Formats: sequence, structure tokens, C-alpha cells
Amino acid sequence: MDKVGIVGYNQVKLYSDANYGRYEMIFEAVRGALDNAGLKKKDITTVISATNDYYDGRTISNCFTVEVGGGYLADESKVEMDGAHAMLYGLMRILSGNHKLAVVWGGSMPSCYPYHSARLYETDPTWERPNAYVNDVTASGFQMRAYMDKYDIGAEYIANIAVKNRKNAAKNPLALEEAQNSNITVDEVLNSDAYSDPVTELMVAQPCDGVAAVLLAPERQALKITDKPVWISGVGWNQDTYYIGERDLSTCTSMELAAKQAYDMANINDAKNDIDVAELHEAYAHEEMIFTECLGLAEKGEARKLNTSIGGDLPINPSGGAMGGKPPCATGLIRVIEAVKQIRGEAGDYQVDGVNRAVATGQIGMCAQNNIVWVLEGGGE
Amino acid sequence: MSKQTQRKSMKYEKKEYKKTRTMEANWYLSSYNYKFNITHMQPFLKKMKQKKLIGNKCSGCNRVFYPPRLVCGECLVKPDRWVDIRETARVATYVIAYLKNEEGEVEERPLVLVQHDGCDTTSIAELAPGVDVKDTYIGLPVRAHWKDEPEGGLEDIEYYDLMEDDAEDLQ
Ligand SMILES: [Zn+2]
Repeated sequence: MDKVGIVGYNQVKLYSDANYGRYEMIFEAVRGALDNAGLKKKDITTVISATNDYYDGRTISNCFTVEVGGGYLADESKVEMDGAHAMLYGLMRILSGNHKLAVVWGGSMPSCYPYHSARLYETDPTWERPNAYVNDVTASGFQMRAYMDKYDIGAEYIANIAVKNRKNAAKNPLALEEAQNSNITVDEVLNSDAYSDPVTELMVAQPCDGVAAVLLAPERQALKITDKPVWISGVGWNQDTYYIGERDLSTCTSMELAAKQAYDMANINDAKNDIDVAELHEAYAHEEMIFTECLGLAEKGEARKLNTSIGGDLPINPSGGAMGGKPPCATGLIRVIEAVKQIRGEAGDYQVDGVNRAVATGQIGMCAQNNIVWVLEGGGE
Repeated sequence: MSKQTQRKSMKYEKKEYKKTRTMEANWYLSSYNYKFNITHMQPFLKKMKQKKLIGNKCSGCNRVFYPPRLVCGECLVKPDRWVDIRETARVATYVIAYLKNEEGEVEERPLVLVQHDGCDTTSIAELAPGVDVKDTYIGLPVRAHWKDEPEGGLEDIEYYDLMEDDAEDLQ
């Protein structure tokens, strides 16, 4: 694959109820990314957004985000998935050889609509919807219990992930204020309100308002734009079956296959040693453990033994991950941005020492049905 | 389709039985709260209350927007100046809408896009009640008809009155 670099990025501060409109929030993210790279509107050749008609309250919602997203009279298209998937489309646009700068942005504003109710409509109308209350939260309960039972893991290990991520989020100035807590304990997580047993409130990544944007450029342009480009060395993506009943919920097969594809492309044979930091889109605390194993960073059932804190063996979600705020359609893209920050040494208080290769993931669907894995590397030349 | 398959499919007799079933289900969000910025609209709404019109101008491309826009898409910056625009306008294009009145009769009403003098964008509007559809044409000069007591909103202009067309054809 030709070299493609990430040359700029920006993420707005996450809020549970932002005091500004969605239109302006998108503008702030995209304009900020251009400013971050020192570019102008004229430099944009293609724009890919990640939004959702349902979440935007409009049909074909990219019609209305054109001006603020940089798509005015430009080559523009939309992906109705995670922002990390939109980046795949952006990458393909650059690899086509026709484009010099791709803007990829994604985000949503759940303060305008009931997010978990909307996800009820993701289920099958004939088999799942009529007889059961299955939405993203209850489905994750199936997943958490299946994982705990298979490897005989107590809920305290899962609560521990929530504690680590919420503590990390406290160091991240852009994280959701409600999610930042540097004094949180395992007991607090276990004793918080039950969302759908065994999942408790503090194990759930809270949907919030936010938009993020990254800029992609082919090698030649990337080196002209910045002396610190981050290169895409591998990407893999995979879609699992729609029916939850057909999947082994104690693992995540689509993540395993996506990781294999990405590692093959990036020539990674020993993920545990080759990767310095991981930013995962864990919609629930237990998903981080499942993903850690599927990405080959720990053996099956052994994720609990890995020290994933900022100074640990293999830091995972030093930014707080999705637990630090989950804006629908932006979360995966924010993971990519956090990985870029770690490689460029711009992560501030949650910087991990000596990062050269990072992995970032995005997901969409019930129990992480569809996953995408990005392997990013530093090195200016 | 191969010849054999084609032959087979021609022999196929359509049987009379139901292959599908429909079930009623909901597909709606109980509510959606559209959130939008008002700060960039305030000067405009204040002026509306005084029966005056202003638009905002982008210093990148010098275009004037009415109604005011938050962002100029061409330059990807916020328009940063306010300029007065006139209450006279011209019809940029129009469409005939057919609406049923209370008696159930279909009425023809022109729906127009008007461009105010001094700005670069058009806005959707209605012509004064009683205007004959046949009198509408592109370039028709019109003037904003204000509410008696404007409240500071886009509805303060009720409709557009016709003006005498004093434009002369170029010789
Ligand atoms: Zn402009």
C-alpha cells in the first residue's frame, strides 16, 4: 500500500448537553483540524463524514452538514457508521490517486434524541423486537455474562477497567466531565445503578455530544504539510452476523479477523511486543477485555492479568477510551486521534513514554458486530 | 439466463399462495429536539423588530447572506460583518402550489424565491394573497409586507406585495 499520512486532527470538548448547535460543533471540529495542519478550505479535495440520519433528525443528513464540514462544492460522501469506518473510505479516496487532502469527520449530538431508545430499532423486527426488550445495553449484558462465565471472571475485574478508564479520563481535558473521576473505586462501579444486570451504569460508556475530524494526505503532500505525519501501516475490518444468537459472545470474531488483516498488512507477528499503546472503542467495560484478547495483546481469558494503566506493560485507553465519553459516530475516530497524539507526543498528562506504533479500533452494531482496526506508526521520513 | 433455465422457468406455474406476511411495528423516534445556534441571529432578529433588514457578509468572498448564515461554505469561515439590505426584492424563481381551501376547492398559489436588493442569496416566501398566478414571472419586483407588530422573527414579513415594474427592456 502506498504511504498515507494523518496530517492534522481535532476533537471538540465532549458535553452531555452542549450549549451550542450541531452545525457549529461540526464547524469547530473541521476548521480546527485545518488550523491544526495550517491549511485552507481550498486545500480540501474530498470530504467523508460519519453521521446517521436517525441521530441527525434529517433524511440524507449530509445535505445539511455540507458547509460546516468543508464539503461545499467538493467531492463529498457519507458513511453511516463509526468515524473510524469513514476514515477507511477516506483512505481509499487518497489511494485512488485522485486526491491530495481528505477531511474525515464524524459525530452526533445525543442530547437531541434518546440514544438507547433509538437503538431498539436496530434489532430485527420479526424475531427480536416483538418479544424482548433488546437494545444495545441489554445485548451487552448477554455479552458480559457470556465472557465472565467462559473464563470464570468476577465482575470486579470488569469494574476495574471502568475505574482505570475513568481515572485516565480525568487526565484528558477533552473528556466528558461526568466521566472524569480520579477517586473512583471498584465498589462504586459495582454498586452504581444496574443498567441491565450484570452491566452497571459506570460500566457503560455514556453517549454524549461531540465531533472529531482528521486529515489524510498521500506521502508527498503529507511531508509538505507537516514534519510529524503519522503513517497508516495497516487496516482491517470485519462484519459479524446480524443475529446475536449465531455469535460466540464470549469473544469477538469480527475483531479477531479485522486484527489479523491489519497485522498482516503492517507486518506485525507479535502484537504484544510490537504495539506500544492501544486505543479501543469499548462501549462497555467488558468489551475492552474481549478486544484486548482478540487483538492478541493477551491470551484468551487472560486480559485481567495485563497491566494496562498508563505506566503499565501495555497501556490501553490512556485517554479514558470510550468510557471518557462516547459521541455516536465519532468515538472510533477519537480513538484514532488519541493514537496519533500518543505517537506525536502530544497527549499531555496521559502521554505514554516511547510510543512509535499504536493501534486504534472502531466498532458499530450490537455487541460490537462490526469492527475496524487501524495500525499507525510514527517516523517522519 | 441459460436456455435450459429459461425453458424451466417458462413452464413454471404460478401457485396461488401467500408468500409474505406483514407485521405492524413502529419506526419512529418519540421526539427529536433540534438544537441550533441563536447568537449569530440576534442582531438580525433585533433589526427585524424595527422593520429593518440586515444580512451578514463573508470577508473571504464578499457574499451577503440573507437570512444570515453561521458559516460561509465557500471559505469555511464565519461571516463577520453586518450590512443593510433593502426591503425591495425580485422573484428569482417560483413554483405553483395547489392547496385545498376550507371548502375543499383547489387553489393555485405561487410560492416564490425572492432575492433582496443588496444580498446574494434568496429566501422562500409567499406573494400577497389574491395575486394571480399568471402575474408571476422571474424578475418580478416585490416589496416586503411587514406584520403590524413585528416580534423579531422570520415570520415578521408576512408576504411580499407586488411593485410596479419600471425596468425597461434593453434595446
Ligand atoms: Zn465566503
